[in-house]
Order: sequence, then C-alpha cells, then structure tokens
Amino acid sequence: MRGRLLTGGYLLLFFAYLFGPLVIMIGTAFNSAGFPRLSPWECFTTNWFGRLLADDRLLTGLGNSLLIGLGVVIVSTPIGLAAALMLSQVGAKLRATLYTIFIAPILVPGVVIGLSTLIFWDRVGGALDAGYDTLFYDGFFLTILGQVTFISAYSMLVFLSRLQRFDPTLTEAALDMGATPTQAFVKILLPFVAPAIGSAAVLAFLASMENYNTTVFTVVSESTFTTVLASKVRYGIDPSISAIAVIIVGLTLMAALTYEAAQQRTALAGRIAGNPVLRRLMHPAPVGLLLVVLAGVAVWGGSRVDSSACEAQVLEEKRALQEQYRTAPTPSSPAPDTPAAPRDGGAAPASPFSPGNLAPGGDGGEAPSPAAPASPFAPGNLAPGGGEESEAPASPFAPGNLAPGSD
Amino acid sequence: MKPRGSLSAFAERNGIPVTLYLLTCVGIWVFLLVLLPQVTMLDYSFRANLPPSKVGGPEDVYTLEHYRYFLLGSSANPDGWNALDIGVLVKTLVAALFVTLFDLAICYPVAFLLAKGVRGGGARLLILALIVPFWVNEILRAFAFRILFGATGVLNETGMMLGLWEAPIDFIGSDVALYAGLGYAYILLMIFPLYNAIESLDSNQLEAARDMGASWAQVHRRVVIPYAKPGIASGCTMVFMLSAGALAAPQILGGPSNLWFTQLVYQWFNSGGNWPRGSAYAIILLVVCVGFVMFMMRVFRVSIGAIGR
Repeated sequence: MRGRLLTGGYLLLFFAYLFGPLVIMIGTAFNSAGFPRLSPWECFTTNWFGRLLADDRLLTGLGNSLLIGLGVVIVSTPIGLAAALMLSQVGAKLRATLYTIFIAPILVPGVVIGLSTLIFWDRVGGALDAGYDTLFYDGFFLTILGQVTFISAYSMLVFLSRLQRFDPTLTEAALDMGATPTQAFVKILLPFVAPAIGSAAVLAFLASMENYNTTVFTVVSESTFTTVLASKVRYGIDPSISAIAVIIVGLTLMAALTYEAAQQRTALAGRIAGNPVLRRLMHPAPVGLLLVVLAGVAVWGGSRVDSSACEAQVLEEKRALQEQYRTAPTPSSPAPDTPAAPRDGGAAPASPFSPGNLAPGGDGGEAPSPAAPASPFAPGNLAPGGGEESEAPASPFAPGNLAPGSD
Repeated sequence: MKPRGSLSAFAERNGIPVTLYLLTCVGIWVFLLVLLPQVTMLDYSFRANLPPSKVGGPEDVYTLEHYRYFLLGSSANPDGWNALDIGVLVKTLVAALFVTLFDLAICYPVAFLLAKGVRGGGARLLILALIVPFWVNEILRAFAFRILFGATGVLNETGMMLGLWEAPIDFIGSDVALYAGLGYAYILLMIFPLYNAIESLDSNQLEAARDMGASWAQVHRRVVIPYAKPGIASGCTMVFMLSAGALAAPQILGGPSNLWFTQLVYQWFNSGGNWPRGSAYAIILLVVCVGFVMFMMRVFRVSIGAIGR
C-alpha cells in the first residue's frame, strides 16, 4: 500500500514537471499583461493570437519551414530506407561497423553538422567559382542537406524496427517462383515497409520543423519558423510566443487523440465489430472531425472575446495608482528595511514631475532592495497588487528579468 | 572477407536497380553529407582566417593558431592559459554530465513502471503523455522554463507567497533554469532506451529474485540494472551528447555571464567573423565529447553498438 502511494506520488511529480511548464505557458497566452506571466492576472484576452497572424516574419518563416520540411522528407526517407536495407543484409561484423557510422550523425552536436555543411558547400562553391546567388550559398539547399544528415538516421531507425519483423523467406519464395529481385523488392518488401514510410516521413518532418542548432548556421540569410521564434524569444518576449505554444499543443493533442482512436479501434476490433454505432464512433475520421469542429468553435469563440473594456479598466487602475504615487510620495510601504525610502520620498516634491524620483528608494542604486519597486511606471508594478513591494520585480522591462538578485 | 565477392553477391540478391539505389543513397549520405563536410571542417580549422581574395594565395598556409588560441589565449595573454575558454568547456562537460545523471535518476523509475508496472491501455496512455510535450518546439520549451523561473515567474511568486523566500531568487543567473530546461528536453531520449532494455527482461527473473527474499532495492541493483546496462549506456550517451551540443536552451535560459561551449562556436562564426577558429572550436567540442563518451563506455564495459537500440 505504501509502495503504491509512493509510486503514485512519484508519477504525479514527474508529470507535473512534464506538463507544468507547458500549462503555465498556455495560461500566459490569455493574460493581457505585456509580459508573459500568470500573476498578476489582468484580463482574459485573445489579442495575442491576432498579433501572431499579423507577424509577417513569422509567417514567412513558417512557409520556409514547411518547404524545407518537405524537402527533408523527400530526401531523407529513401536514404533511411536504403541504409536500413543495407544493414539488414550484411554480416554481423560489418553490420556493427556500418551501424556505428550510420548512427553517428544523431550524436554529433547539431552545431558541428551545421558548420561543416556550411563550410563544405562554401568551399565547393569557391572551387567552382560560383557566385553567391548559386545553390551553394542558398539557405534552403544548405538547410535541407544539413538536416538530412542526421534526420536520415532517425528514418533508418524507424525502418530498422519494421524490418526486424520482416520474414525474408517471403522474398525467397517470390524469387523461387520466378520473380526478378527488382519485382520481389517492389511487390514484397516495399508493401511491407509502407506503414513505416509514413511514420518515418512524419518523424522527419517534425524533426525538421523543430530543428534549431543546425538550421541557425545553414539557413544563411533566409529564416525558418524556429529561427524567427528564437530571435523573438532572445530579443524581447511577449505573450504572443505563448500563443504559438497554444496552437502547437492544440494541434498535437488533436493528432494524438485521433491516432489514439485509431489504435483503440484496432485493439478493440473484435469487440466492436458487431456494434455498428460503436464502430462508426470509434473511427478516427469522426473523432478527428469532432476535434476539428471543437477547435473551430474555440477559435470562433476566442475571436469574439473583447477584452478592451477590461484592459481600459486595468489601465485606469494603473493610472490611479500612479496618481497615488504622485500625490503621496511615501505610500503605505511596509518598508522597515529601507531607511532610504522616506528620505527619497522627501526629496521628491522638489521635482514632482520627474518620475524616477517618485519611486520610493528608486535611486537606491542598481540593485533595488526587496522593498523597493524599481520603477512604479513599469506596467507590472502598477497592476493591482503590484504595489506590494515584496513582490516587485527588479524591472519588468528586462526581458526575462535577468537582473541580478536583490542581494 | 572478399569485398569483390560479397559485393557481387549483394548485387545478385537485390538486382541491379535496387543495388544501385542502395549504394547511391548510402554513398551520398555517408560521403557527401557526413564524411566530406567533417573532413573539410577539420582542414579548415587549420587554416588562417583570410578574406576571400587571399584564399589560395601565399598566406593561405596551414597553422595551429586556432588550437593554440583555445589553449593559450591571445599572444598578449599574461597567464599562459586561456582560462576563460577552457573553463567554459569544462563547465559545459560537467553540466552536461549533471543533466545526464539527473535524467537517469528521474527516468529510471518511470521506465521501469512503464515496462513492468502497468499493462495495456494504461501503458499506451503513459507513452502518449510522454510524447505529447516533445512535439512542442524546442524554443518554446525553453521559453516555458523562462516564464516559470523568471524573477516574476510562477516559481518565484509562489515561493514568496508561501513565505519560503523573501526576494525573487535569480534562477536564470544561477543556471538552475538551464539545467531544468535541458533535463526536460531530453527526458524522452532517456526513457525509451531504458524502457526497451527493461521491457525485454523476463518478469520471472524479478519474481524469482523476490521469492528468494531479495528486497526491491536488491532486485534493481543485482537484476534489473545489470540487465539494462546497454539501455542505460545508450540513453546516457544520447542525453550527454545532445546537452553538451545544445545551443537553443543555453541561448535562451543561460545567464548572461555563463556561456555554453556551443555559444563560443556560434560567436566565432557570427559576431566574431572568424570561421576557421569557429571550426577549430567545433572540432574541439566534438573530439572532447566523443572521447569522454568512449572513455565512459570503456570504464563501464559497454559496446558502442548499444546506442540507439
């Protein structure tokens, strides 16, 4: 009993680690605060999604990523299949060597793959005296090649696990019956690996879409979805990035549930075959359709949410709070550990319109003491509850709040 | 082994068109995409950093300058050692090792449960729950940890609300966010090799050990872990190599003063404008990481063929 409790508790913690960050990120997509966070909660809004649709750079990057993903699938799937077939035919000793060679690109850091691809084709281009507008300097071409280098190994692993279940006597039988090796390949082996082609392609596409380490080098002057996203995150974050996560998680869940329905259907095939209602209900098509409809309703509902009234109210509250700071330079600060505050506050009336002076302890140096909000004009601080000094961040404008700790 | 004979046997078995397809694809992959670029990069790392007009000219000679720079720093350096860059490399390796051990510790119980504890639908649901977070983009996962660990993040707000600590703790500057984010990113790569290894263990062995009076701790130490060693090695290798080679997470989650070695490579390439030196640093990273993994495998007596299974 105690063991069971322990196991359950452990799993709970583990999945909290797994899903907690995502859930929080999704939550921040619906908060109207300009910095992604859950508290203080300002207004429920869907405006960040609208912001996404207006982001041309991101949409261009997405288009490029789709193209590159398609290219990677087309090149890496045949390579992966060829490598897997080769491995399944050679002797044990050669097999171990080949396997090590084939698996190596997965383990090589993506940075190294990106760099080497870029340098190699740059040199080839240089040797051929090719101009900078040729293939050798083209971001699409280089990125596809760079990604194929390691994604082929993923495809190979998928094909290998399928081929493990292949019965080679089938091919032998076909050959005995007079088929040529090519016919045996096309009529026996290819149909057998066909399902794996689908999974390998999906895997390759997803891996390509989300790759950053290699792409950031090979993409040269172009951009992909991931590189645009990374530059957004690195240079100023806002909740529209969380909105992207909402969309991706939503799509993922839809795909996963549809897939699960398909799996359940095969698992329960015997039991539900006799029940026409259940059989239709469990079909992945209606499940997928239902999910699409639900998503459509969510989008429609979301687009009708109007948070402007609430946001205006929050702004009003901020103004009021700001006014409070202006008129009462020493607010109800429970600041026993900031002797500087009253003094600074006392100096404030000398220049009431200079906002910096109005901060209690605002000129207390670079590292604000815990009791001092760095700047009362930062929107976060003015939000309801933002006046409680102990919760005030060093500066909500610093992306990621990288400012050193208060001590 | 007779290469000629085995090749013709290979061709005979597959027929000419399929043989051509296999050899062309594998040849393009191994030589054009993997081997030649790596060799070119190695060559490039020994060259002086020259503008395109001087390439191939009299100044285009082989030099050890970039490796010397990594070890000793610029020639004006008084201490004799390039403590900064070497320090970054050591820190990267130690941190990657830490992330690997952390992942192993938290994933082993889950993998064991998945393989031996739950049955049928439950196991499938668990696997689905494991996979879904990893369809989310790498950048977004790092971003999520930044929201979680930021000065106004949920963790700080909760901790201060509960009165656990007074002022916001700088999780990002102290790299806690980075380790948590890296560990998170590679959980799946640790769980599946472990799961595959443990799953093939005959459950009767566990029962036998239990019947003979072994405690669960003994069962794991004497039966499961020795059996799952290839899986453990495989998972650890992948997590170690990928976290040492990570770029996105350190860029997003790393503190401003704490660099990851890949960021040095990135800097020499982009802002530094010194491609040969960037190549030299990339080679150093690759060689040191591979060397470390080989060394560990030798110590724990595992063969490289275990990786990826």
